[in-house]
Amino acid sequence: MQRSNFIHFAGCKALAVCGLLCVWSALAGAADLQVPATVVAGQAFSISAEGSGQATLYLLGPDHAAKRTVNLGGDLQISSSDVHAAGRYQIILCGSPCTSATFEVQAAQPAHLSFFLHPSRVPVSTHDSIDATAFVFDQYFNLDLSSSAVDFRVTPASGAGFSRQVPTRHGVATIRMDSTQHEGPVHVTAVLGKVEEARVVQQVAAEACGLRMKALPGANNTVTVETEPVRDCSGNSLPDGTVVSFTEVDKAGKSTVDTPIKKGIARAQLSVHGRAQITVACGVVLGNEVALDGRL
Amino acid sequence: MKHTREPKMPAWNLWPRLKALGVGLGACALALGQALAQSSTQPLPQVHLNAEGLAPRPIEELTGTTVARYYALAWHEMAGALESGRTAALSDEFIGVAKERITRRVNEQTQAGVHVRIVDHGHNLKAVFYSTDGAAMQIFDTAQLEIQTFDGDKLLDTQTAPHEYMVLMTPGADRWYVRDLQEVSAKSF
Repeated sequence: MQRSNFIHFAGCKALAVCGLLCVWSALAGAADLQVPATVVAGQAFSISAEGSGQATLYLLGPDHAAKRTVNLGGDLQISSSDVHAAGRYQIILCGSPCTSATFEVQAAQPAHLSFFLHPSRVPVSTHDSIDATAFVFDQYFNLDLSSSAVDFRVTPASGAGFSRQVPTRHGVATIRMDSTQHEGPVHVTAVLGKVEEARVVQQVAAEACGLRMKALPGANNTVTVETEPVRDCSGNSLPDGTVVSFTEVDKAGKSTVDTPIKKGIARAQLSVHGRAQITVACGVVLGNEVALDGRL
Repeated sequence: MKHTREPKMPAWNLWPRLKALGVGLGACALALGQALAQSSTQPLPQVHLNAEGLAPRPIEELTGTTVARYYALAWHEMAGALESGRTAALSDEFIGVAKERITRRVNEQTQAGVHVRIVDHGHNLKAVFYSTDGAAMQIFDTAQLEIQTFDGDKLLDTQTAPHEYMVLMTPGADRWYVRDLQEVSAKSF
């Protein structure tokens, strides 16, 4: 009976030793992987891989896939070129079993601004007519999702400039601005730290204001109609090429002549039959009216 | 006793062999075609776009439908390219940096002998920025994906956690392009 107990005890001990040996041998090949939660794009770092022997390391990122044989039991170096693109990376280490971990690469310092200024031409003195939008990128063209502030500096051709600081939201800063009173180029520069990006918007005269004309009799029942210099309400000259319409109503009926502004003035020659009324318009703006009594 | 003998096949009579070879090649071509077409026959992933409160420009219904459709196409193509290792599977849904990055990833995967299978269970998009001139839209995507990584035929890893992406899309003549696709942590939202 005693011998039987001894045999039973010895068998259990042998089993336990075998089990421990199995667990140890399994753990010896296993790799315990420790990676940082976040790293900055383009910065080398190391990860800790416990265990012994060799293993295969897989690194999978947004623009990168690598497979290497590594020695366990120390730090594994991840080079800067492995982590240029922002996003989530996956590391898989295959020793005896495979273990995996993920980490996030975040954008580095801002290095580029993608700047949109809309529209390219805008009438003067118009509310919320200019849109400026800046996207913030790092040197690897990762969108920088961290909060920062973009300074929009506005420099008109004449008059005082101004600037507005706009915080980014998810890497984007946007602002709407009024156009200033005077025509000409307006320089808008987006600035973030040492990064600058400039665009130009051309401010043009708004609608005509106080449109006036005069009629000058000519030979053979003709009359020459001519506007005064056509300006907007801020005193800016409407650009040459803007169409002005002269409309004449006489006993022969109604006729309209469209003519472009040249050197700030629109001019046309009309044939008149008897009494006539002539009006002038530019866009949606009506000017004065001239009545002719037929005695040219 | 009837003695029959198979006529000896002359050396030039290759027809039966060619026929067998043709059948074999046909079967191989069929299998290859099925394998290549597998990714393209996968259904488009489900994409739901929420554009409520979008600023500074509201979205038109047709634009929302188009954005969702081309985003689904983009994921379909990317999944196909990552699994097949063929960059030709990527057509015009990605552009700029996004296309360069995916192309590089697929090429390096192929060199390493690795491929990735994405089982796409759908995307919930939240549009957060739409520029006034309509030139860019920023979207956050919460995607339910099962990502399986293989080395050859060996399954290395499976990930099933939700994935979050920041997306920049820009319009083209007849479609919307994915210009930037960046996986982010949920706290960035």
